[in-house]
Amino acid sequence: MHDQLETLLEMQDLHMQRRALDEGGVRELETGLFEMGAEQAIDALEAKITELELRLGKSNQERFRHLISTRQRAVVPVLAGVCYGCFVAVPTSWAADADPNDKLNVCQSCGHFQYYPS
Amino acid sequence: MRLRDFFSVDAIDLDLSTETKDETLKKLVGLFHLDEKSEGILFKMLKRRENLGSTGIGRGIAIPHCRSLVVNRLRVAFGRHGAGLDFKAIDEKPVHYVFLIVAPPLEVSNQYLPVLGKIAQFSKEADVPERLAAVENAEGFLQLLEEKGV
Ligand SMILES: [Zn+2]
Repeated sequence: MHDQLETLLEMQDLHMQRRALDEGGVRELETGLFEMGAEQAIDALEAKITELELRLGKSNQERFRHLISTRQRAVVPVLAGVCYGCFVAVPTSWAADADPNDKLNVCQSCGHFQYYPS
Repeated sequence: MRLRDFFSVDAIDLDLSTETKDETLKKLVGLFHLDEKSEGILFKMLKRRENLGSTGIGRGIAIPHCRSLVVNRLRVAFGRHGAGLDFKAIDEKPVHYVFLIVAPPLEVSNQYLPVLGKIAQFSKEADVPERLAAVENAEGFLQLLEEKGV
């Protein structure tokens, strides 16, 4: 897997965790059943996101920030040959690679980073 | 929605012989048969969640969970550890029963929270720890879920 893609995936997962703590259902469960300290957790997640951001190249950092703030997600899955950022079919030559995650693919149609789940 | 429909027999391990919490998380993630990198990312996310506070909810039960793009649908696994593991659980007692739940960030049918809730509900039943201890095989585990109506 491309190392920048790995970092982007991790950052996105952390952003999702962070956002989830603002949602009633998740926050209730995490602070209730699991007795998590929500505010401390938010601080820890934000610190980790900032730390990971430093591993990205400048253009990837800017693309990530732009996408996550304007379109919720920066990395989208490609499932059955379709980009889930825009629902446009991915050029077959891309998906035919031995492991398409070895490259950092950006959708030509919607600009999201793409990930091929196993 | 029935909990048993989310578990496959090959994602149930009733004889965990792992030594640590980390090793156990890795072992259970391995039941999903992802590629190595995806397993690594998932393990890291689960660890990070544990660092925010243990998912050991007491009475020998832990429910590690997270969302990640490395899975393309909701996945669950169950592991039982005879000797018990140090999970830094809320009641500080060893953990014998581990329910692992992972889901993609966005799901069409939004099953993550309800499944997590059902496992929590199941875990709270008074006789569940002893019933889980007595389960003889994966099929027995699934029958127990069914019997409890979760
Ligand atoms: Zn696209």
